[in-house]
Amino acid sequence: MAGLIKNLRVTQTGSGSRTLQEAHRRSMDFFREACRALPAIMDRYNLQEVTTLADLRSKIAAEFRKHSKVSNLKVVDMLVFKGQEELQYCVDHSKQRHHLLGQYIIGKEGLAGDVHKLGETDHGESEFLKNFYRGNN
Amino acid sequence: MMKHAVRIVQSRILQRLRLGVQLDTDVNASVVVPATRWCSKRMYSEEAHASSTHLDRGNVVARVLNAVKTHQKVDPTKVTESASFQELGLDSLDTVELVMAIEEEFAVEIPDAEADKISSCSQAIEYIAAHPCAK
Repeated sequence: MAGLIKNLRVTQTGSGSRTLQEAHRRSMDFFREACRALPAIMDRYNLQEVTTLADLRSKIAAEFRKHSKVSNLKVVDMLVFKGQEELQYCVDHSKQRHHLLGQYIIGKEGLAGDVHKLGETDHGESEFLKNFYRGNN
Repeated sequence: MMKHAVRIVQSRILQRLRLGVQLDTDVNASVVVPATRWCSKRMYSEEAHASSTHLDRGNVVARVLNAVKTHQKVDPTKVTESASFQELGLDSLDTVELVMAIEEEFAVEIPDAEADKISSCSQAIEYIAAHPCAK
């Protein structure tokens, strides 16, 4: 299935990046690709009321930043590959609106965090107990 | 093409008449090569090469600086025309994000090679000001 974006390369053949600079370039190229696909994605899933392009760009940048400390070239290539796969799913409509809302727009904090706050009453527990109840998500 | 020919004829006639009027012909104007071949305007006629397709510089500066200021990580008070993105506390990822924001603002697509060179507000302004398709 080719998907909407014509030249989106999901499969990556070849020997992979040889230097950190090349790996960095690959990841930046992928970032640009993702940003250019954003208007089509927003259109497809009707995200205009929920979020803006700038907001989505920041969210994507945050996802990239989670892996900023990685220095192993093969790992970087792998992350870019997985990212392109994810982007392909978003563009193809293989994902659904609630997936995008939950994973990117509202994020884990919004989904789990609010529910906890709603049901919480303070019984004078210690910080340790509070963290224990909140869990290790 | 017709306009061009008419202008030449006009200039020849008026030269003969010796009215002493300075005619503004751009017969010898150098051709401006469009910055990108993905431009939707066809650059075949001389009118297309006129600098009227470029945006007015003040407009470009205002909009570029606005795009920089509305970025999450940027402190708006530090943004000036000559500030480099590194001075504003942005790393490489933020720089790419900012360039994409500028692309969105002006509805252009900047090729990767050019985008890598943009690392300060002034470079972004220069690029957009020289781009014939910027809106």
